[in-house]
Amino acid sequence: MESVNLKVSNAPFVRSKDSIESVMYNVALALAPATVISVYLFGMRALVLTVVSILSCMAFEWLMDKARNKPNSCLDGSALVTGLLLALNVPSNLPLWMVVTGAFIAIVASKHAFGGLGYNVFNPALVARVFLLISFPAAMTSWPVPFSVDMQTAASPLGILKTDGLEAALASFSIMDGFYGTMSGSLGETSVLALLAGAAWLWYKKYITMHIPLTLIGSVFLFTGLFYLIDPTTYASPTFHMVTGGLILGAFFMATDMVTSPLSVRGQLLFGLGCGLLTAIIRLWGGYPEGISFAILIMNSFVPLIDRWDLNDRKAKHTKKPETP
Amino acid sequence: MISEAFIPAVASLGSVALALGLIIFYVSKKFHVEEDPTVVIINDILPGVNCGACGYPSCGQFAEVLVETKDSSMSCPVGGADLAAQLSATLGITMAEPQPITAVVLCQGDNDTARETAEYYGIQDCWAATQTYAGPKQCRYSCIGLGSCIAFCDFGAMHLENGLIVIDKDLCTGCGACIPSCPTGVLVMQEKKAERYYIACNSHDKGAATKKACDAGCIACQKCVKVCDDDAIVIENFLARIIQEKCTACGKCIEVCPTKVNCIRLEHDLKEVKQKKAS
Amino acid sequence: MKTFKTGGIHPPESKFTENIPIEVMPVPAELAISLNQHLGKPAKPLVKVGSEVKKGQLIGDADGFISAKVHASTSGKVKAVKPHPHPGGQYAVTVFITADGQDEWEEGLNTEPVDWHGFSKEEIVGKIKDAGIVGMGGAGFPTNVKLSPPPDKQIDTIILNGAECEPFLTADHRLMLESPQEVIEGLEIIASLFGAQAKAYIGIESNKKDAIETLSRLASSKGIEVVSLKTKYPQGAEKQLINAITGRTIEQGELPFDKGCLVQNIGTAVAIYEAVCKNKPLVDRIVTVSGLEIGKPKNIRAVIGTSFRDVSRFCGDLKDSTNQIISGGPMMGKALFTLDVPVVKTTSGILFINNTGIEKARERTCIRCSKCVDVCPQGLAPWLLANVAQFREFDEIQLLGLANCTECGSCTYVCPSKRELVHWIKYAKALVNNRQKRKSA
Repeated sequence: MESVNLKVSNAPFVRSKDSIESVMYNVALALAPATVISVYLFGMRALVLTVVSILSCMAFEWLMDKARNKPNSCLDGSALVTGLLLALNVPSNLPLWMVVTGAFIAIVASKHAFGGLGYNVFNPALVARVFLLISFPAAMTSWPVPFSVDMQTAASPLGILKTDGLEAALASFSIMDGFYGTMSGSLGETSVLALLAGAAWLWYKKYITMHIPLTLIGSVFLFTGLFYLIDPTTYASPTFHMVTGGLILGAFFMATDMVTSPLSVRGQLLFGLGCGLLTAIIRLWGGYPEGISFAILIMNSFVPLIDRWDLNDRKAKHTKKPETP
Repeated sequence: MISEAFIPAVASLGSVALALGLIIFYVSKKFHVEEDPTVVIINDILPGVNCGACGYPSCGQFAEVLVETKDSSMSCPVGGADLAAQLSATLGITMAEPQPITAVVLCQGDNDTARETAEYYGIQDCWAATQTYAGPKQCRYSCIGLGSCIAFCDFGAMHLENGLIVIDKDLCTGCGACIPSCPTGVLVMQEKKAERYYIACNSHDKGAATKKACDAGCIACQKCVKVCDDDAIVIENFLARIIQEKCTACGKCIEVCPTKVNCIRLEHDLKEVKQKKAS
Repeated sequence: MKTFKTGGIHPPESKFTENIPIEVMPVPAELAISLNQHLGKPAKPLVKVGSEVKKGQLIGDADGFISAKVHASTSGKVKAVKPHPHPGGQYAVTVFITADGQDEWEEGLNTEPVDWHGFSKEEIVGKIKDAGIVGMGGAGFPTNVKLSPPPDKQIDTIILNGAECEPFLTADHRLMLESPQEVIEGLEIIASLFGAQAKAYIGIESNKKDAIETLSRLASSKGIEVVSLKTKYPQGAEKQLINAITGRTIEQGELPFDKGCLVQNIGTAVAIYEAVCKNKPLVDRIVTVSGLEIGKPKNIRAVIGTSFRDVSRFCGDLKDSTNQIISGGPMMGKALFTLDVPVVKTTSGILFINNTGIEKARERTCIRCSKCVDVCPQGLAPWLLANVAQFREFDEIQLLGLANCTECGSCTYVCPSKRELVHWIKYAKALVNNRQKRKSA
């Protein structure tokens, strides 16, 4: 045996099987139930939109890797997850060119402009969603009604709550509709059941922890509950807030994005709390019916600051001289 | 219609700008720092790369200390004789002319001459490689060839060629920043001369071990020592060394050196030596 | 079941050799006995080329306070004294001995066991020093130095480390099963040095049920507590073991004796017993030879200086697909570039594996998953240390606890981006040392 064939490097020589790919594909897998239900609810158009979104995200990823002279990362799954999340965040009747524009904003402007995977400050899919919402408010708020053949649209329960008040909103759907997803809304946000199933999978596989989602949802619940107790005729019940809008999707799949959330447990708790309060505030008094995207993006911008808290503590701990007896 | 919206906007923004401008003006007056004009002039003629070769952390500090002390022994190796003349003219003193020096690589073990031990796949950095073993090359005194020093050179004088660091003598200013960056110590500073010989090998292994590891290593055969008329070559710890003061650059040693790639190098032209050897 | 507080990982155990009894490997024709088998200064050679040596004869004397003696591990003739690759990663002056086949002990060594109770503390430490015993778990700290803490430090806890948390390795496990009496006596000898207030523990990972049972039976009457530890890497690291058993934490800049603890390896305890009772210097040790690329994985008793090449022949030769040879365990061992390195006092295992593909896993960017933070047993942020190391901010990195890293490799193991976290940390340590050296020079 010739020794020249030997491979030399530093320990450890065993590595876990986890990789960026396994993380990303598991997130995609966890989103699969919601995607399937969206196709069931909104028809083939939803499927077309999802595929276009994913493919355009991957294409932009490939182009940006080429342009930035980086190793090809279009198959590492991160663009797939971004594309999937983007699709789940828009109404199923959105024109396809808008979806491609969204993919461009997500991958080029909010991911690669910051340095690619791992360096982005904001969740790419959310940046794209907010961009589309601000640029094309009409198209982004006309939600197709489930099982409708002729692309009939209606406002989402949260939208009705904002414009027509609580009674109209409660009349438009039942809480169980919200749980199963049979109400109008974006592709992926309607079915709480499917989202929870996916989240449970991610939690079981230890790709997410429950710190952010639970504090986020908990704070929304408590905050809206407080106002429901004060005045149940104008403010909707916390259960209403749980099942409507993108709260569950955002809490489990977008606020928990590893790259754009804090590292330490206490940082994650603070992050979840901030997201929850901002969501509730925007929902109750903001100009937009739904606030989870804005809330997460705003808190994303605080993540470096939150991490600095941790960093300073680490430094303080290690600069402390051991006591000399 | 336009003017109705236009005038208040211009007026409000303009007044804000004016107010800020006044604040900046006031601050610049209030906190004005008196600078010695000579320091400014000298700072301008210094190379301005803050390499630290003079012993001061920055060119600015060098200029300040120089103006203050007028110490004629201070020198900037990067600027060389030209700068020394300029400084002398500006300050009215005679500055010592720095001896031009340059970094040299005491190794010729490139991918063709040096033999590898194993495939190193860890972090591509010389210091990281030496944490596992003495690097991918068999010779533990060699240039590791992963180019950690390149980042330390402010002048772009270093590059990797076939697994070996090569220094561009025209670009090297002799600042010495690269020296501590080398884990095996194959980089040394030497006087810059037009024609000059040195042993381009760093191996203190015995001859047989050196020969086994590398075609370009000094095997301490004593041939060059014997042929040298000026007693300018000595063997120390299995490695020849040329005493620069005694060397007359006659070139006899190059002719007798038995290694495949001459371990004795003529400073300004290695290719010539290789060709001579081949023919 | 006890365990350390923060972090830890569960790599595949791969203990192929745990049921294979220790086999004595015959002394090979040539030995290469390194004079640097311990932490600290290498030993000074005492023999010249051509001199005859007996087994157990002193061939390298301790040079300074932190250094250890080295003995010939067979009888024969000194062939050469020259630098030679060392499994720790450097070259070291090595004494080559051509064996005469007699394997003859020097007069007065390796005698019938005597009762150690009559010896004074100084005599015991002296015997340990003369036997050249060093920590056999891996670091190789001279044992006599470790057993003589500063007088103001009160030792109240003595821990025998039988955790053996590294995958593949079973040397300590087999030793506990086959020489339990010696292990216990060794521990008793250590404990006798620190008086009656010192409580002795043996920490064993719960995957070695048979060892826990065997030792518990013998230990209960002697006031020694056998502690079953959770199977988790790095349970056997000194700081983690102390934390698991006593709950104490060794802070930055502290040594175990600052917290009243002393940790010794199982192999060291047996060596201490043999040195004190049988007057036998440390000339052999148990080595686990394992990995999928070796014909017959075994636990062997090999003399110090046996080359890895001879070991591989004794264990049924290598397959052609071998492309990595590791001295030690896969988590903290060293990859070797040649088989011509000798077994030293700290060689707990030799692994022959095929790691095709590991070199292709290129380093990717950090995706901030914080897994490395979760598993770091020292509570550090490895991703941050690696980032700072990459940008060569060496003042900053010391503030982040660089000195606290025990280089256990857990962070690199879990990283989904396949970053060489622990390697970057070692790189930073090397450069920080280098800078300090230059400053003081």
